[in-house]
Amino acid sequence: MSNKQVQDAYIVAATRTPIGKSGRGYFKNTRPDDLLVAAIKSAMAQVPSLDRGAFEDAIIGCSFPEGEQGMNMARIAVQLAGFTKPVGGVTVNRFCASGLTAIQMAADRIRVGEADVMIAGGAESMSMVPMGGNKPSFNPAIFERNEDIGIAYGMGITAEKVAEQWKVSREAQDAFSLESHQRALKAIAAGEFKDEITPIEVLSRTPDLATGETIVKRRTVDIDEGPRPDTSLEGLAKLRPVFAAKGSVTAGNSSQTSDGAGALILASERAIKQYDLKPLARFVSFAARGVPPEIMGIGPIEAIPAALKYAGLTQDQIDWIELNEAFAAQSLAVINSVGLDPSKVNPMGGAIALGHPLGATGAIRAATVVHALRRHNLKYGMVTMCVGTGQGAAGIFERV
Amino acid sequence: MSRFNVRKVAVLGAGVMGAQIAAHLVNTKVPVVLFDLPAKEGPKSAIALKAIENLKKLKPAPLGVAEDAALITPANYEEHLALLGECDLVIEAIAERMDWKLDLYTKIAPHVAANAIVASNTSGLSITKLSAALPESIKPRFCGIHFFNPPRYMALVELISTPTTQPEVLDQLESFVTTFLGKSVVRANDTPNFIANRVGIAGMLGTIKEAENFGLSYDVVDDLTGKKLGRASSGTFRTADVVGLDTMAHVIKTLQDNLADDPFFPSYATPAVLDGLIKAGALGQKTGAGFYKKVGRDILRLDPAKKDYVPAGGKADAIVDRILKKPAAERLKLLRESTNPQAQFVWAILRNSFHYAAVHLEAIADTARDVDFAMRWGFGTKQGPFELWQDAGWQQVAAWVKEDIDAGKALSKAPLPAWVFDGRTGVHTPEGSWSPAKKAYVPASTLPVYARQLFPETVIGSGAVDALKSGTELFKNEEVRVWTLDGEVVIASITAKLHLISPTVTEGLLKAVEIAESGYQGLVVWSPDDVFSAGANLESLMPVFMKLGAKGIAPEEKKLQDAMLRIRYAQVPVVSAIRGLALGGGCELAIHSAKRVAAMESYVGLVEVGVGLVPGAGGLTYIARRAAEMASAGNANADILKFATDGFTSAAMAKVGTSAIESRKLGYLLDSDVIVAHKDELLYVALQQAKALFSAGYRPPVKKAFPVAGRNGIATIKAQLANMRDGGFISAHDFHISALIADVICGGDVDAGSLVTEEYLMAIERKHFCGLLEHPKSQERIMGMLQTGKPVRN
Repeated sequence: MSNKQVQDAYIVAATRTPIGKSGRGYFKNTRPDDLLVAAIKSAMAQVPSLDRGAFEDAIIGCSFPEGEQGMNMARIAVQLAGFTKPVGGVTVNRFCASGLTAIQMAADRIRVGEADVMIAGGAESMSMVPMGGNKPSFNPAIFERNEDIGIAYGMGITAEKVAEQWKVSREAQDAFSLESHQRALKAIAAGEFKDEITPIEVLSRTPDLATGETIVKRRTVDIDEGPRPDTSLEGLAKLRPVFAAKGSVTAGNSSQTSDGAGALILASERAIKQYDLKPLARFVSFAARGVPPEIMGIGPIEAIPAALKYAGLTQDQIDWIELNEAFAAQSLAVINSVGLDPSKVNPMGGAIALGHPLGATGAIRAATVVHALRRHNLKYGMVTMCVGTGQGAAGIFERV
Repeated sequence: MSRFNVRKVAVLGAGVMGAQIAAHLVNTKVPVVLFDLPAKEGPKSAIALKAIENLKKLKPAPLGVAEDAALITPANYEEHLALLGECDLVIEAIAERMDWKLDLYTKIAPHVAANAIVASNTSGLSITKLSAALPESIKPRFCGIHFFNPPRYMALVELISTPTTQPEVLDQLESFVTTFLGKSVVRANDTPNFIANRVGIAGMLGTIKEAENFGLSYDVVDDLTGKKLGRASSGTFRTADVVGLDTMAHVIKTLQDNLADDPFFPSYATPAVLDGLIKAGALGQKTGAGFYKKVGRDILRLDPAKKDYVPAGGKADAIVDRILKKPAAERLKLLRESTNPQAQFVWAILRNSFHYAAVHLEAIADTARDVDFAMRWGFGTKQGPFELWQDAGWQQVAAWVKEDIDAGKALSKAPLPAWVFDGRTGVHTPEGSWSPAKKAYVPASTLPVYARQLFPETVIGSGAVDALKSGTELFKNEEVRVWTLDGEVVIASITAKLHLISPTVTEGLLKAVEIAESGYQGLVVWSPDDVFSAGANLESLMPVFMKLGAKGIAPEEKKLQDAMLRIRYAQVPVVSAIRGLALGGGCELAIHSAKRVAAMESYVGLVEVGVGLVPGAGGLTYIARRAAEMASAGNANADILKFATDGFTSAAMAKVGTSAIESRKLGYLLDSDVIVAHKDELLYVALQQAKALFSAGYRPPVKKAFPVAGRNGIATIKAQLANMRDGGFISAHDFHISALIADVICGGDVDAGSLVTEEYLMAIERKHFCGLLEHPKSQERIMGMLQTGKPVRN
């Protein structure tokens, strides 16, 4: 393309499905590619004036892109979403930062001038593909050096290591978790999620053994399934540590395993003008950093300053932070080490209450930030998370 | 002739007994509907549903595996009475209220299937009176079926007919209960509390009274009346606490309400201490306090004088301990003559039991055998009262009892019946057991179902031949007897203590295979007692180990492995007949057999980790081979590790199945193996299986190489272990042992999918087994186990 130039990338649509509890929740039989198609269609509906043939590519994040979310889910979803002209698609994986990485990569396609309209998103069904995938297999080499053993660690024990080294008490973790639930419930009651969530119709199909008919039941779900009004400090205190015999990390102060999808549409200024689009936010910067795998939870401590530096911003300029609550232990270690203002972190609750569909979370929380900045008339927002096997990622958005 | 097929059973009443009876039916694959009253709110079958849910938590476990609770269909009398039409047997087990039971019978009568048997599990109400509420069409098919709590574990079922019960109904039920539920049947007369509870509770009341007479505390009485007296280890008062003092009072009340004419009637009075406890709400174990109370880790006993709980732990005097170990005749003589109050107490309760049993025999049972069996199977005693009496010298004991009655020392002045003194030497003879009613010796039941019990339980004096002296002996060494009963199948019986597998046992088993191959249809590994084999005999290897170290063990281990392969590839089928423990080497013997036939109460597992070792006689090789077989059954490229992981976990955590069903879930029994409900049918079924395999043209398995998960598999298992170790759940040594187990199961440091042989994997097993023998931490575990019998955690 001869007219290639460096340009800004804007988010012009951002939405997500509600988040279901994995295993027994309302999406337990809903395929992740179906969730993704629903999210993409919802995003498209937000930009009716956009030419359906204008899309350059789709980049979708997923943590365990296999089984029901394998086969390059990005391509399958854009095909099923019914575009007027076929659109390509790539599924990317940076574990819990997959969705955010998808947005960064889509933005970068625009920023280098090789694309004007992109789809970005993420989808994950932990009901259908478990954490670790269907066939976990570790490299024997990880046992050769002590510093590699963290690759073998499940996420829970990394949280224990962080709690131990950053001295995060069980009481502090439980209090943080209660706050997450309370903030989420308050935000739900106030209708704060309405901007970002697109209701979705869930079908269940069961055999009627007597008649041989298929019983199809439909229900529309429009809100996250995770927050529990009955959460209490006493209840949380009763839970037993599951990852270490004498540990402090419990099911109650960890993120919930979930199903969900998010989708965003990114466009260049040129496309915004051409199609008469209303930009919601500008994508400002992104950074990912490696950290030791056995304390992967501290990833944001490294990634946040890097993203701020690329943006030319200082921490106090960030008005709204979506810090993925993989565990209360690592969230508190990050908040305390970076010196984040707790009132700006997850004002609507986090993954402990709302759930954490791994590779979808980055896209889902980006939708949260983009709409929250507008609703509250704030300027800068950030999405950040820790990443399994030792990474942190952070992305910054600016309301326009 | 028409066979009684039980397609489905209805249990009415989802209380403690009803729900547990339903659970046991499920254990033995009998479909069951569990009824209770319709719930006032929520789902209509909520009461049954709750009871079914509760079965998963109950201890001791009523279910073979907890998830089988889902196989019980919950129901209620409002919506589901029509389901009764599908049930061939209806067991009523609601509360012990005559009026409630009669109401229920009236309600169900129109819905009961035409040929169904209806039976009440009442523990004491008159079956004949209950029968009155039934229409004439059902009466001939109504009887009593009295299970003991907990029904999965207590062998006894008393069957009670009424004057209108058709004789074949009881025959049909007895056959079903024996083979399909694995229970041991005694037929009882329709008298209050039937046989076991009548004799047992009268015995407990007598014991309470004599304990007061002799001023003995409950803990001492329990020590005296437990294992040392050949009775259930919980003795008298702890048994009462476990049963529940309210339940016990209820059974006592049945005696009081119905037996005013009984010469022992005064002894049925509720003891004041029992009354006091019940009024205080101390009902035993279920309320946390009774005769005993558990405070933290301490057991306290009630001191009735202080009206408070004091530390328990009192034991019998050493002199009494010694007397109780003597042969019966000497034992009773010494007890009676001793001036020790504990000895006098024991004599008194034994005297009372002889007295009571003799006076009541004619009324409550057909024969003395029925009383003895009822006490063995329902109360867990080694001998019933008549057996002990006969064992100790009938006439001498009779004279002593008479003397005490005459002296006013007994519970009643009622004289012993005349037949006691007719010059007899006992009540059990080779021709049968004494029936006062028939004035004759009556032989054991000849129902066809008992042909399946080749060595049934017998009473003293019946002249039954010990299994280990039966048949034709083909070979014998100090620890194995090789014999045949029918000339068609060889039987190998391990006779060593706990049937531990030593080189001598291995020699005997190999000889058995050789003999079987030389001209028989197969080999059955079976022993008449309650253990298959508790493992390899580590002590027998000690001399070699002391002399040569682990190097000396390797050839011994190889011999054992070779023996396992010899069994697996024998030219005739080897069938392991499992009952009780099959651990470690015992488990390995079973899994290398062509087939396993297991009694319901079989506990199978590879437990070597507990002593710091890895299974070394092919156990891990078996897990690797099974994983490959299961993976290839689905798909040639299937993930072998996925199938190996369960086996790995079972071995690494030393899991033991808590039933034959759970042992199968762990992978030590196959779906094609047979689970036998009645332990005494085990040998019959095993012989039949061996013959059937032979008749079907048995060939040993084809030897072929199979794929393993390889080095990636080991790394993946080790990754899981690293989490457990670094999370503080397992020790560094546990990690080490588990990693070695993974090494064998995955075939060592080779590419995934590499083809290996059993011999190759056994060599790795051997290497790790011997390596661990020299590891100081494993040595600590072995020494700890040999010295204290408890696992050392290091």
